[in-house]
Amino acid sequence: MIWNTLKKAAGAALVATLFLGSSAFAEYPEKPITLVIPFGAGGSHDLNARIITSTIPSHLGQAMIVRLSPGASGQKGTQEVANSAADGYTLLFSHNYVDMLQQHVENLPYDPAKAFVPVARVNYAPIAVVVRGDSKYKTFGDLIDGAKANPGGVAMAHSGNWGALFVPAAQVMKETGAQFNLVPYKGGGPAMQALLSGDAEVTMGFPSVLGPLVQSGKVRVLATAGPDRIYDDVPTFNEAGIKGDIGFMHRVVLAPSGTPKDVLNKLESAFSALQEDKSFNRLMKRMGENTDLLLGDGYQKLRDDQSGAYKTLVDSITK
Amino acid sequence: MFEQLAEGALLAFRLDTILMIVIGLFSGMLVGALPGFTTLMAMAILLPLSFFLDPLVGIPFLLGVYKGGIFGGSIPAILVSMPGTGAAVATSIDGYKLTQKGESRKALDVALFSSVIGDTFSDIFTILMIFPIAFLVMQFGPPELFAVLLMSLVIIVATSRSNPLKGLVMMLFGLWLSQVGTDPIGGVERFTFGLFELKSGIPLLPMLIGVFALPELFYAVMRNEKVGGFAKLVGERLSKAEFKRCIPTIRRSTLIGTAIGIVPGLGQVVAAMMGYSAAKNASTHPETFGEGEIEGVAAAEAANNAVNGPTLVPLLTLGIPGDNVTAILLGAFVAQGLRPGPQLFEEQGTVVFGILIAMVIANLMFVVIGYLSIPLFSRIVTIKTGLLVPIVIMFAFAGAYVFRSDTTDILILVVFGVFGLLARAAKFDVMPMVMGFILGSALEYSFGQTVAMAGPSPLSFLFTERLGMLALLIATPIVGYLLWRRMKTAAP
Repeated sequence: MIWNTLKKAAGAALVATLFLGSSAFAEYPEKPITLVIPFGAGGSHDLNARIITSTIPSHLGQAMIVRLSPGASGQKGTQEVANSAADGYTLLFSHNYVDMLQQHVENLPYDPAKAFVPVARVNYAPIAVVVRGDSKYKTFGDLIDGAKANPGGVAMAHSGNWGALFVPAAQVMKETGAQFNLVPYKGGGPAMQALLSGDAEVTMGFPSVLGPLVQSGKVRVLATAGPDRIYDDVPTFNEAGIKGDIGFMHRVVLAPSGTPKDVLNKLESAFSALQEDKSFNRLMKRMGENTDLLLGDGYQKLRDDQSGAYKTLVDSITK
Repeated sequence: MFEQLAEGALLAFRLDTILMIVIGLFSGMLVGALPGFTTLMAMAILLPLSFFLDPLVGIPFLLGVYKGGIFGGSIPAILVSMPGTGAAVATSIDGYKLTQKGESRKALDVALFSSVIGDTFSDIFTILMIFPIAFLVMQFGPPELFAVLLMSLVIIVATSRSNPLKGLVMMLFGLWLSQVGTDPIGGVERFTFGLFELKSGIPLLPMLIGVFALPELFYAVMRNEKVGGFAKLVGERLSKAEFKRCIPTIRRSTLIGTAIGIVPGLGQVVAAMMGYSAAKNASTHPETFGEGEIEGVAAAEAANNAVNGPTLVPLLTLGIPGDNVTAILLGAFVAQGLRPGPQLFEEQGTVVFGILIAMVIANLMFVVIGYLSIPLFSRIVTIKTGLLVPIVIMFAFAGAYVFRSDTTDILILVVFGVFGLLARAAKFDVMPMVMGFILGSALEYSFGQTVAMAGPSPLSFLFTERLGMLALLIATPIVGYLLWRRMKTAAP
């Protein structure tokens, strides 16, 4: 009797293993997925990723774990993912400047265009040009004229060379012909503090973090990136004559090239499902971030354009 | 304001708030005590939990993790000479000596009480003086930071254990090590020999474990004792008389730590070292510092915890996070629909004061939790050598690895372990080297910023009316006096 039961149980276990084994092969994901962030804790990517990873498991059927791997301006974490297996269990959460610009500035141990395919652009952040509330620059035109009249005399605080505030500043300088004195700070927070304390005349910032400072009149926004107005009374880059994919930080999830198509589809559908997820939308809204999703192929087109545009930009500055 | 303060206090005294603070403190302490795991990592991982909790439960919980983590870091620093962060280095100087003397329990008690006192007073000071502090924070820019850092480095050399010349040599070596990697301003690679592994510089944690813990393990093996790994006894608890003796030191360090917290970008490492140096210089028996002086532990711990209050000020008053810990707290605030900034106190004053008062509650709870768990922790050192040494070696290597999950770091650990042994044999103190390494990158960065701010004529910053100049003028006589005093007392 007992023997029979045992034999049955063993048989069932064997069948189950075989069944699970074969189905696991077809059913991605069968174990938690690691999302590598090539930046430090507490940054906007970290915070965005905490929202994604706390809401996506219900659409993916598996946990997604954040692994922070900062170093070498994002290259350390990026290289780790470039070298990992293309099975969809290791993904990279990066942004366009690290992804497409760095290759034109220095020699990388990987080729970003060949090493990665985009899974989803989760959202994007348009940059805003800000001055102190009591600044003599009332409009974007005033600022550009002031910088042209005194080349290198207007201090612009940014968050590090070739970073999310530096590149838009460089792009604005290239498009308008103005020349700022670019002063680096350790992140967007210290750069904003430099503006408020008077060490800098102008800086860049994302509307998601500017809210209370704008409302209290401590800072004034002179222009925002993109074609659509973010603040009713503030002109856009397009209106100021700066056109194209300039001043946007795209937060994008990338997978190593060669990741199977059905795995990518599964991931894309999970990210699409987030669009309907109430917690995801509520938390993103509170952070002041949009949820403007762009799936793999759609973003790949932007990526190709970025590479060319950044090459021209880097050449115009360094040569 | 006082009305809001009173209402906030009522909001904070809730059973679930206090319960979550306790859980946060305890988990923070465990994570902080494990080498390789940082409080920052724990906070980042636990952040999503706070998204789904009430603001007066979730944010105090994260603050509990933070506070518990800082104290947790001093446990391995005291017990096995393994500081997990730069802030715990100063604690390990006298803390580990106390352990070797068989007084680990006393060392942990002093660390606990001085941490909590330093933290509580700086929190209360911050709550009452939040707007004046917010004004002061704005007076410091890169030139001032550079001047204060330079002064700190000279003071560290002047108070090092070996003679000042040896200290200076080690500090210069540390400053050179901090240059390895990509130049933070120009983007040029320096001393990397083309190795990608060195591009982001030498990691701090393997260096700390290497120079502080590995030599101690080596000596423990060489001593070849059968019983008692690092000490035979855990000793007595802290007596009332001993605590009273520490009070002036704790008071001085709390003031120093709070002042350093106001300067953006300085942080706990500088505070701990300055608190320690000041205590040693003010003492009537400076020769006992470095030989197991409880005041040394008190000075370092009170100072590095007193930094916490003022660092929250830019976050609360302007919505600007000054470092990674405050950036995570900003995330927690924002996810709750609380937007730190100039209007936060007008719109949500009660909740904010509630959170600040929860910080004070967290400190008081911590006295209880810490006091009850210290006997457990302190017993670790009495495990017999044959077991303890392999366990600590395992934690040293695992800690160095998990910090960045990079096998290169194990190599770096071994290299610095050997270096630490050689330095000790030659009677060179590694402390100035480690401090030069930690502060070197900040020093270089603030100098680069100052030069960039000056624009076309790089020397013009020296002749401006900025406070930086003032700081250098103040620094010179202080440093001169310290060196003169050192020269008078016979240097080893």
